[in-house]
Amino acid sequence: MASPCELLTDVDNKTKAEELLSIVATEAWRIESKFSRYLDGNIIHKITNSNGLAVSVDEETAQLIDFSTTLYELTEGGFDITSGILRKVWSFKGKNKIPSNAAVTKILNSVGWDKANWDSPALTLKPGMQLDFGGIGKEYAVDRAGQLANTITDASCLINFGGDLLVTRPRKDGKAWSVGIEQPDTLTGSATRLIMLQQGGLATSGDTKRYILKDGKRYGHILDARTGWPIEDAPPTVTVAADTCIEAGMLTTIAMLHGPEAIEFLEAQEVRYWCG
Amino acid sequence: MQLKKKLNLRTSLAAATCSLLGASPVAKVLAEEATPWVIDTAALYYGEQDGRVQDISANFLANKELRYGQFLNLSLAIDTLTGATPNGAKPATNTAQTFTTPSGNSSFTTPAGDLPLDDTFHDTRVALGVSWQQPVGDVSTLDIGTTLSKEFDYQHIGINASFSRDFFQRNTTVTAGFAFASDSIDPEGGAPIPLAPMRGIDDDTSKLGDDDKEIIDLLIGVTQVINRRMLVQLNYTYSDASGYLNDPYKIVSVLDATGEPVPTIGPAPQIPSHQFLYESRPDSRTKHSIFAKTKYRFDNSTLSASYRYMTDDWEIDSHTFDFRYRWDMNRYNYIEPHLRFYTQSAADFYTLALNDGTPLPQYASADYRLGEFDGITIGAKYGHQMKNGDEWSTRLEYYTTTGKGVSSTDYPDLDAIIFQVSYRLKIGD
Amino acid sequence: MYRVICITTLLLGNALLTGCANLGVDPWDRDLLARPDMEMVSDPMEAGLDAHIYFSKEASSGGEGFAGGGCGCN
Repeated sequence: MASPCELLTDVDNKTKAEELLSIVATEAWRIESKFSRYLDGNIIHKITNSNGLAVSVDEETAQLIDFSTTLYELTEGGFDITSGILRKVWSFKGKNKIPSNAAVTKILNSVGWDKANWDSPALTLKPGMQLDFGGIGKEYAVDRAGQLANTITDASCLINFGGDLLVTRPRKDGKAWSVGIEQPDTLTGSATRLIMLQQGGLATSGDTKRYILKDGKRYGHILDARTGWPIEDAPPTVTVAADTCIEAGMLTTIAMLHGPEAIEFLEAQEVRYWCG
Repeated sequence: MQLKKKLNLRTSLAAATCSLLGASPVAKVLAEEATPWVIDTAALYYGEQDGRVQDISANFLANKELRYGQFLNLSLAIDTLTGATPNGAKPATNTAQTFTTPSGNSSFTTPAGDLPLDDTFHDTRVALGVSWQQPVGDVSTLDIGTTLSKEFDYQHIGINASFSRDFFQRNTTVTAGFAFASDSIDPEGGAPIPLAPMRGIDDDTSKLGDDDKEIIDLLIGVTQVINRRMLVQLNYTYSDASGYLNDPYKIVSVLDATGEPVPTIGPAPQIPSHQFLYESRPDSRTKHSIFAKTKYRFDNSTLSASYRYMTDDWEIDSHTFDFRYRWDMNRYNYIEPHLRFYTQSAADFYTLALNDGTPLPQYASADYRLGEFDGITIGAKYGHQMKNGDEWSTRLEYYTTTGKGVSSTDYPDLDAIIFQVSYRLKIGD
Repeated sequence: MYRVICITTLLLGNALLTGCANLGVDPWDRDLLARPDMEMVSDPMEAGLDAHIYFSKEASSGGEGFAGGGCGCN
């Protein structure tokens, strides 16, 4: 995942804490290696090299694909697990380069869930297409780790995988966990706000630091799978609190896909959110 | 994307998540932002020259964001006023003048050639304010508030409300507001009958009881973002005051043909020594103001410039220019010089003194604050932010006014110092 | 006369609003404008104290906002 992961817990003995840490870390590594696009032999690797042939996937992968299909429909194609390949033409790490229209059009040939054939448990992608769970992988891992933690303790756990968080249950003394998020606050003039999270998931989309500036136009790093280009006029960053980490993460992504109407969307969904 | 379709999105998302995680029911999220109380405190000293008015005040402002976009604001100010203030009588070159104090219990004497000053003012004032700000929909804000103040002889109650709406991606904001104040005056010794003569000790023939006034203000304004560095604001305010608008402690001298005050009739020593009439102002005043302000952010500094034009039906016109330049020395320190220019024309019933023999006008006041004068304020403020986010600042300013078209012996010019020390802290952060 | 004023105000207002439509910044360019010292009233405490001083010594008051409360000083 290439992000720092931490577990905070309210248990009163060290053995229990170590046991929890072990469970959470193991689950994180398990999911990471299963869906990493950098490891040979896992399901992602198999699908990438399927060359147009059907691949039979396991139950967990099938459930993730079903979930992604629902999200594809809910976002009318904005969220698409075949869009990961767009990273080949978009790099947001310091070079202020944008790809040519031709390059984007060409790579769009390999993007589109409508081009895939999903007949659970058989997945068939056109040659050249890839599957990438990058948009939900971390949040999914957080929620799964949370479920496992709940099986061995009823103490409150805060699981944080690189900024995607879950608090499994309220703390025994009723206090909340304090989470700092980077969202400017004009009243106090500070760049961070403090969220008191007693239970539930918290996720942040967007990045005030990762963007391309070219010819006076700012390109955020959330790409619209339908056009191959970054979303225009979206807020630089959005944080949402929801019942699970996945829902929080999806709501931030869908909000960003709404571009200038992101805030209207979040208001309509009646979720707790903070916006830059 | 169609917004209406998506109102069920959260439900569909929750259902999909349920299928994925295989857990039901899922516990509900509990999350709230912890916002601090932002508390501003300030001690202010205002002091004029030659033993004239001195004011020391302690001030507090507390502000907190309760829910997203909802703000509560509380304010408290405690003021003590001491020192002497010109009572409106004209200095007499050849004779001392004796006046009855406002309470009617005693008298004081001003030597020949001196500006008559009344120093019986020792007043303490307490002022409170509460206001609430609330978002309305996506692009509007509602602000409502109330103010109260009480001092020995004066009481104020006010309410205010304003509504703002953003346009063009929050680049333009239009604001409309109104304020209503109901003040009551219970002057020491009673409110004087306008143009009645000042009487002797324990003689309250010229005095009535208490009185009141009401003020309505209406404001409409536009704030516009010009570019990444610049903002502009334009406001129009209409103000209407009605009721008892006199200053109950101000008098007007009556002069004879040689320009000396006319003595009162009766065996010496007579108190008051000369004829002094209580001032008389109209019982209504309508003001129009236009205000324009701009703020510009440079690389390490911010410039703030504003202009206000005021005109009213008392024939007073005024112009105010205000400039502040805040220079950020580094992340923690700034210095902000300040320059203000003010000029006003006299009210049509303003006069240095009345003439014995000419018929009494309906309105007359010798209150120097209704005369024609220029004012300059020059000062600087220094601020320092501490590592924990608290901030302190201090400012020192010099405010001077000079009468126009009058000699400085007749008209009370002003030389005042303004000194303030402030501290801002955050509680609950 | 009243009609002339009404029509002029509407025309001016319309011109102002149309003009306003072309000025401004995109949401991600509000970094400088979000600074506390770029608020129209960046120090409400100082503004309130000054308003009280000048209300007591001059014949004008307000303009920027509401004067915030009377007193017996003028």
